[in-house]
Amino acid sequence: MPVQAQQGIASPRTSAGLGGLAPALILIGLFFVVPVLALLLRSVTDPVAGLQNYAALLGDGTYARVFFNTFLVAFVVTIVTVLVAFPVAWMLAIMPPALASLLFSIIILSMWTNLLTRTYAWMVLLQRTGVINRALMSVGIIDQPLPLINNLTGVTIGMVYIMLPFMILPLVGTLRAIDPMTLRAAALCGASPFAAFLRILLPLSLPGIAAGGLMVFVMSLGYFVTPALLGGTSNMMLAEMIAQMIQSLLNWGLGSAAAFILLVVTMALYALQLRLVGNSRATGAA
Amino acid sequence: MKLIFAGILAGLMATTAAKADEMVFTSWGGTTQEAQTKSWAEPFSASSSIKVLQDGPTDYGKLKAMVDAKNVTWDVVDVEMDFAIKAAKDGLLEPIDFAVVPKDDLDPRFSNENAVGSFYYSFVLAWNKGAVSGEPASWADMFDTKKFPGKRTFYKWSAPGVIEIALLADGVPADKLYPLDLDRAFKKLDTIKSDIVWWGGGAESQQLIASGEAAFGQLWNGRVFALEKDGADVGISWNQNLTAADVLVVPKGAKNKDAAMKFLAAATSPTGQAKFAEASGYAPINTKAKTEMPTDVVKGLPDAHVDGQINLDMNYWAEHRDEIAKRWYAWQAK
Repeated sequence: MPVQAQQGIASPRTSAGLGGLAPALILIGLFFVVPVLALLLRSVTDPVAGLQNYAALLGDGTYARVFFNTFLVAFVVTIVTVLVAFPVAWMLAIMPPALASLLFSIIILSMWTNLLTRTYAWMVLLQRTGVINRALMSVGIIDQPLPLINNLTGVTIGMVYIMLPFMILPLVGTLRAIDPMTLRAAALCGASPFAAFLRILLPLSLPGIAAGGLMVFVMSLGYFVTPALLGGTSNMMLAEMIAQMIQSLLNWGLGSAAAFILLVVTMALYALQLRLVGNSRATGAA
Repeated sequence: MKLIFAGILAGLMATTAAKADEMVFTSWGGTTQEAQTKSWAEPFSASSSIKVLQDGPTDYGKLKAMVDAKNVTWDVVDVEMDFAIKAAKDGLLEPIDFAVVPKDDLDPRFSNENAVGSFYYSFVLAWNKGAVSGEPASWADMFDTKKFPGKRTFYKWSAPGVIEIALLADGVPADKLYPLDLDRAFKKLDTIKSDIVWWGGGAESQQLIASGEAAFGQLWNGRVFALEKDGADVGISWNQNLTAADVLVVPKGAKNKDAAMKFLAAATSPTGQAKFAEASGYAPINTKAKTEMPTDVVKGLPDAHVDGQINLDMNYWAEHRDEIAKRWYAWQAK
């Protein structure tokens, strides 16, 4: 968001129309900048002035584990989402338009269903006495229920499902923009389908993967409901810990500090990605 | 800056600010708040012409934000007792006006200067009869994975209950529980850690037991009561049942304090308490309430199981809340 705003100001045409930007700037200032500053301020003043909240967070093994969990889950979810989304996006990109838009609307429709409902549905499917385990046991594939819930597996399944549209959408855009002739040319030059994928399709679709991947990763970092319901206590993520600190322990200083660290790390990753993939392509495809 | 932030927050939450002849009651939602509305709010409105608006769920962070921003939109809030003791110390609560709220018949275990009892409950041992062979009879059985295999479910959050259960199971006598030996409790909990499924809310605990996902567990007695009422095949053991309470508090700076005090008088009256107990299966905090209740309802209350009943020490918890929470979540995350 700040990057786009800067681009707007820097472009020559808008210097005259800066006044027109005022409502947007006030909105961003009031609802984004001020709260973040208030958060930062609280993290170094509550309960007393100083850096004790940050010292407590960074010097404690439990919090370190929660930070690690948060990034591990976000990373695993992003990788799995890319792996699942790519074939779907490719199919949507090459399919007849009428059929593609039908499938597209089905995928979008899932986003309109309440998050909590979808997560509870996964609970019913994944638990030890759930549909999946019962079905597998009744056909004799397994005789002990698989541990699909209250662990990393459950969190990953539930979150990938929710994140898929955010990966598929940018990917389809990128894949559609690739000229199919490049693949035909590769084949004519003797490339195997796998080589054509690896050396033509994958590099060309990288901006879409990067844009979708970043979005999924960043959204996953702050996720709350799904990890809380499908994960176990040893998979606790930062958002859940912050909610604990704010809601029931009333330790707002510590909660603010944790939230601020998450924000800084996320922004650093964003900056890194801009540098690696290139500014215009990442934001453009998103 | 702090104030601005808190002000914005409170402003956003001020959707239910009540007018002069109105007040806002906040509780945990679900069947409990429904019963509170029917047993307390509706009769109170009818007799006093003060309208009671319902809000929820209770959120300690919101309560603090309102008091900090001096924009309090909740007048009476149902909270856990250990929180109430701590919140009073932090200056978040109004004192109760005992000139308006009759004190004499209130169970002294669950009332103090800043809070009157809402209801009290027991943690009991409940099990799914289809998933357990035999009858677990004590907390020690919940730690005996040989005799009673299967998943067991406990309350997920750092709160009075599980630590005490672990200590009792490890042989600590009830009168020697406090101060809590946390090392010993966690060591005992370690022995069954991989068999524990945590429940975060009442509905989840019911779902786990009713489906057999967890064979047995530590549940609120009212939730087992509701399961039995629905015809679920559950067993219950009251042996060493552990009492805790919800209390009603008035946040500091509540706009309709007078109405709030009158509401508290109605809610804690024998009739209000009797009606609520009948609807919820939780126990009344007014000692006269039982005379107004059907005998079969009285039989199912924690009141009928004072033999071996243990009172969780809310004052101890209020004092050590933060340090226990830190150890608790560290242990859980391991």
